[in-house]
Amino acid sequence: MALPARPDAASSFEALYRSCGADVYAYVASLLRDRAAAEDVTALAFERALRRRRSFDRARGSERAWLFGIARNAALDELRRRSRTAALVTDPPDEALADDEDPDRRATVRAALASLDPRERELIALKFHAGLSNAEIAKVIGASESAAGTRLHRAVTKLREACHAH
Amino acid sequence: MRTDPTVLAELDELERALAGEPSPWSELVADVRAERPVMTDAFAARLDSRVDEARRAPARRPGWLLWSPAAGLAAALVVAVVLVSGNDTGTSPPASSPSVASDAAKSAAPQAGGGSASSELAAPGGATAPRPLSGRRVERTTALALSTARSDVQSVADDVIATTHRFGGIVDSSQISTSDSEASAVFALRIPTRRLDDAIAALSKLAHVASLSQGSTDITGSFVSAIDRLKDARAERRALLKALARATTTQAVDALKARLRDNRSQISAVKGELNSLRRRANLARVDVTIDGHGKKGNGAHPPGAWTPGDAAGDALRVLEVGAGVLLIGLAAAVPLALLGGAAAMAARTTRRRRRESALDGV
Repeated sequence: MALPARPDAASSFEALYRSCGADVYAYVASLLRDRAAAEDVTALAFERALRRRRSFDRARGSERAWLFGIARNAALDELRRRSRTAALVTDPPDEALADDEDPDRRATVRAALASLDPRERELIALKFHAGLSNAEIAKVIGASESAAGTRLHRAVTKLREACHAH
Repeated sequence: MRTDPTVLAELDELERALAGEPSPWSELVADVRAERPVMTDAFAARLDSRVDEARRAPARRPGWLLWSPAAGLAAALVVAVVLVSGNDTGTSPPASSPSVASDAAKSAAPQAGGGSASSELAAPGGATAPRPLSGRRVERTTALALSTARSDVQSVADDVIATTHRFGGIVDSSQISTSDSEASAVFALRIPTRRLDDAIAALSKLAHVASLSQGSTDITGSFVSAIDRLKDARAERRALLKALARATTTQAVDALKARLRDNRSQISAVKGELNSLRRRANLARVDVTIDGHGKKGNGAHPPGAWTPGDAAGDALRVLEVGAGVLLIGLAAAVPLALLGGAAAMAARTTRRRRRESALDGV
């Protein structure tokens, strides 16, 4: 049975889309390391979120956490699909980003990020690229807030050490 | 689990750096943010378009939300109905329609083959006993309880006797008693077995059938045994008569005559037993009770009438059955719901683990 969308729900979703669109793409692209796939998954995540917007329960977390949870599931499904069908191919470094004043420093950070475990890289993306709070990250990855904070601290520390090592 | 204070302090510093405040993490935050993937303008336009398209499509409830409760309820009801119908073996209280009662009575017949069998027809239209196999001797018994107005007991009793005679039966015994508040009659009838069904149908039309039960006992074994003993006794008699003709001494003649007397007694007893068995097989025993209570038109009712009392009884019965179906449905639905919930939870956990495993393969 089709349900008419409520105006307040529609405007709320519009605001969420405008505020989180770029963040979701940044998170998904960091996770997949494939811009084309990231674009598909980002669009898919917003389509799913639109279809399921009535299932959002504010008591269970913020809208951002809910949206990133949907995006995460879509991204993980994409990773699984790709692992079944072909070897994982990652994009080369973004040419647009390569045009800066300190290419060596950028290369060092990029190498340090690449050396991280996928789960750690995901935490970095959620924190640094998407700007989620620790509580929101906990909701997205399905862990307690303290566990999410501890894992995040471990990932950031590892990233800093990797940067210094390189 | 409490987080290490050092970790908490460093996380606070990280938050400050992310907020743009001076922090030991500021440099790292800036470096990592510089690596943030940025969507192209072309993709941003495509994304706007896809989201607009999706926004125009109406939100839908998940399909299972619509059909799963209905399917669960339907399944529970089916289970309940099957269980109820499986348990309903004709022990329900009597109904009040004499016409139905007569139909039931007409189709009632004795069980054959086994030693004995009975069928309870508490409600007219219930189970009937199968007819005997040919060559077998079966004694049939029927207990019929009629209820009528107290003032009608005598006339119904007269009708019972007349009906019995009409079908060639006999009244073994009868007893009619009346008081100010009640009247009753009890009959022990013998009705030719071959006309029993018609007779029961006719008797059932005389008043409201409160209950009807029928039974049958296979007496073929006893009958065959008696015939065999009669044959043996007759053969012995013939041998004794031949021996008597050949006897030459008085002593031998006297002895043979004494044995012949015993033989005659034996033959007579077996014949009596055979006659009794034949009577039991040919004449079915029918016990009829008539219960009279209340006044005519106030409590009791004439045959065929469907009174408010009947309606109340039927309504109560409907409520009882409905409550039973609901209870059984719940009993079936609750475990199913628990199983379904556990399965859904397991499926969700499995799906989540599979998704998480995708990160291990990157």
